[in-house]
Amino acid sequence: MNVEQLLLTVLTYGCLFSVLTLSLNLQYARGGMINFGTVAYFAAGAYAYAIFTQDPPSGLDQYMFGFGAPWWVGFLAAGVASLIFAVVTGWPTLRLRGEYLALTTFAFAEVLHSFLLNERRIGNGSVGLSNIERPEMNWMGLGENYTFALSAILLMGLTMLLYRRILAAPYGRAIDAVRDDEVAAEAVGKDIKRLRFEVFVVSAVPIGFAGALYAMITTLVSPDLFTAEITFFVWIALVLGGERTIVGAILGTMALVTFEEVVRSMHFETVRAAEIAASTEEILTGVIFIMILRWQPFEKFGRKGERA
Amino acid sequence: MTLLAQYFVTGIVTGCFLILATIGFSLTRRVEGFLNIAHAELLGVSAFTTWGLNVGLGWPFIPSALVGIVFTAFLGLFIGRVVYDPIRRLGPAVLLISSVGVAYVIGGAVDGVIGTGIRTLDIPLATTYRFWGVRITDYQMIVVALAALTGVSLALFLNKTKTGLAIRAMSANPELAASRGIDVRQTSRATWLIASGLAGLAGVMLAMIATLSTDIAFRQILQILAVAILAGLGSLYSVLLSGLIVGIAMDMSVYWIPAGYRPLIAFAVVIIVLLFRPQGLSGRKPS
Amino acid sequence: MTQDLLVVDKVIKRFGGLKAVGGDTGLSFTVPQGAFLGLIGPNGAGKSTTFNLISGVLKPNSGSVRLDGKDLAQVRPHEIASLGLGRTFQTPRSFPSLSVLGNVLVGANNAGEHLPSVASGNWRTDEAALQDKARVVLERVGLGPRIGDVVTNLSGGEMRMLEVARQLIREPRILLLDEPTAGVDPSLQKKLSDILVDLHREGCTLVVVEHNLHFLLSIADSVVVLQNGELLAKGSPQEIRSNADVIAAYLGDEHAA
Repeated sequence: MNVEQLLLTVLTYGCLFSVLTLSLNLQYARGGMINFGTVAYFAAGAYAYAIFTQDPPSGLDQYMFGFGAPWWVGFLAAGVASLIFAVVTGWPTLRLRGEYLALTTFAFAEVLHSFLLNERRIGNGSVGLSNIERPEMNWMGLGENYTFALSAILLMGLTMLLYRRILAAPYGRAIDAVRDDEVAAEAVGKDIKRLRFEVFVVSAVPIGFAGALYAMITTLVSPDLFTAEITFFVWIALVLGGERTIVGAILGTMALVTFEEVVRSMHFETVRAAEIAASTEEILTGVIFIMILRWQPFEKFGRKGERA
Repeated sequence: MTLLAQYFVTGIVTGCFLILATIGFSLTRRVEGFLNIAHAELLGVSAFTTWGLNVGLGWPFIPSALVGIVFTAFLGLFIGRVVYDPIRRLGPAVLLISSVGVAYVIGGAVDGVIGTGIRTLDIPLATTYRFWGVRITDYQMIVVALAALTGVSLALFLNKTKTGLAIRAMSANPELAASRGIDVRQTSRATWLIASGLAGLAGVMLAMIATLSTDIAFRQILQILAVAILAGLGSLYSVLLSGLIVGIAMDMSVYWIPAGYRPLIAFAVVIIVLLFRPQGLSGRKPS
Repeated sequence: MTQDLLVVDKVIKRFGGLKAVGGDTGLSFTVPQGAFLGLIGPNGAGKSTTFNLISGVLKPNSGSVRLDGKDLAQVRPHEIASLGLGRTFQTPRSFPSLSVLGNVLVGANNAGEHLPSVASGNWRTDEAALQDKARVVLERVGLGPRIGDVVTNLSGGEMRMLEVARQLIREPRILLLDEPTAGVDPSLQKKLSDILVDLHREGCTLVVVEHNLHFLLSIADSVVVLQNGELLAKGSPQEIRSNADVIAAYLGDEHAA
């Protein structure tokens, strides 16, 4: 096991997924919205990046669109795609609360997944798109892996700054008020619909960018990579880190990614042993999750739970 | 036309299976007040316990199934007492999120013990009957019969037995029920046993009519959610109708759209119902 | 003739089959600009429901509520608030994740609650001015020393004063107060009555629901009495004190108790 490689992977994916956790933190811990469809915005970004940067279809390709655009166009397109998907899913669900919102966002994500899986004209269906455009990533001779790690750190840092700026402004106070008590917030002139919708949409954009970066790193997008497991992963990371704090969200994600990567980097003699290790990882993740919900950031989770 | 009729009949079977799978889920929602995402994992537990006894140890099918169902019922009770009871005061959102953790634990355990691959029970091949050109197997008929039987017994149970009446009282108003001398804890335990037992029954049915792989649970939860939401979260009798609607809609959709989109029907149901009629078929206001 | 700021016109509100407000003919009363109206009646008379109908939390089944001649039927609660209508609640409502200061500041509509201003950062000057204003308002309601406290540490009475402070920073043209003295200790009650008298003098229109008639009748300039959601009587405090119907329906109980 190469420790340097492992650290680099943890750092890259840790920062990348922290973008998702931070966004979820804004939506749930501050905005009071349970979004169980996080993966969809991530997938929208990744697919948008792939579609915009890939060459037009030829030969056996079943996809319809490929614009051959430079990477930065694809990157921007990823943010826009995620934003559009957030508008489409956020607008009709504005009046839903708690578990109803959770279920609807979850269903929307599954609808997108189902389309990506079955509609070959988007991204070759279940096969996915491979050989995705990677920008020349050799910044100051550091090598691709380091440059990608730096990009992930940068993306996370910018997301953090963006959310900090929003939350430090009176805007943060207003969304806290809306989450705490909608009726009282309305009585002081807060437009609940606007605030909730904006939080939902704004926090989707960095997720889209993260999707694009993910596509660059893996050079592959396929429906298998974007299942509800990513949504659950982000939720677990958020709970693990303790909600409400930006640092907590990042630490939680890092811890979970480290845990997964360490398990993944272990070598097993047989397939069966690897299977058992994978399921042990799953069980442990679940147990930790349950234990944290029960014993850790209690009052806060509980208080919101009642309201949700 | 015969093909369409065939899809319709298959849809009824799917619907009946969904009824069995969803009633326990809705019962939990009604009495315990939250969406138990891990409910579908219990189907997997029961299906693979039955498979393990039947294929692994060579037991006959019926005893294997009975042990599978009873084991699942008590596992559900155990989880309810150990995991959900202590955090009930934290509200339905935390319970919902916790149940994702429970789903991970059960799913991981089933994966670890069973491993990947496709499994089938060691039971005689299904006998196919034909009625006016429409095929139905004896196993499928059992599913339909059991769904009907479950519907009837549930109605009898809720209306005639002391525990059933307590469950109804508790789901209507827990505080009032407690003040009227209903043993809340015992009622809650009975609910876990029944809901999980029903999940166990549904799991056995699944093992009987389909092939088993360890990811079945996740696919089922989506459809269970669709049925429960269409029925109106927490309502029980409407599950009978909404299960059939979702089952028939999914199977008949294959006539018009590619089969890959079949699960999409379930999500479309979720979205449409929640956006336009959140109370579902039952007409009860969502709490 | 002074202009009517608020008009409640033949309003009927039903919950299920039950008529909560308005009976058969609908509830009507008017609040002239600059008035100090007391709204009284026994429990269940529909006072809080009336407040909810005026502030838009509930919409009437029939009839209309007009503010400045504008029908509020299609106006959302936060828009009504922005038209200059402030209100407090029967059970005090606060924002537990905000400090006492934050709870008052959130009452002000800072430009920084809109994304363009968040992006440009130009809300900071407003914020500084509002913080000063919030301090003044908190001093005024007697919560000056509690400024940095968490809301959950406040007593029930302090919570009510906090709600008043949150409305004061908005400088509403018309303020609806729902049982402002309930659970408030006598020294704060005195403060409250001073504040209300001052507000009235400054030109703010007041509508106050109150069970403490001694408190209310000494400062209000007119009174509306509700019973079973219908108008029982209206008049000056003196008239109400001597109205036989009112005494029978309401004051009688109070005096007996």
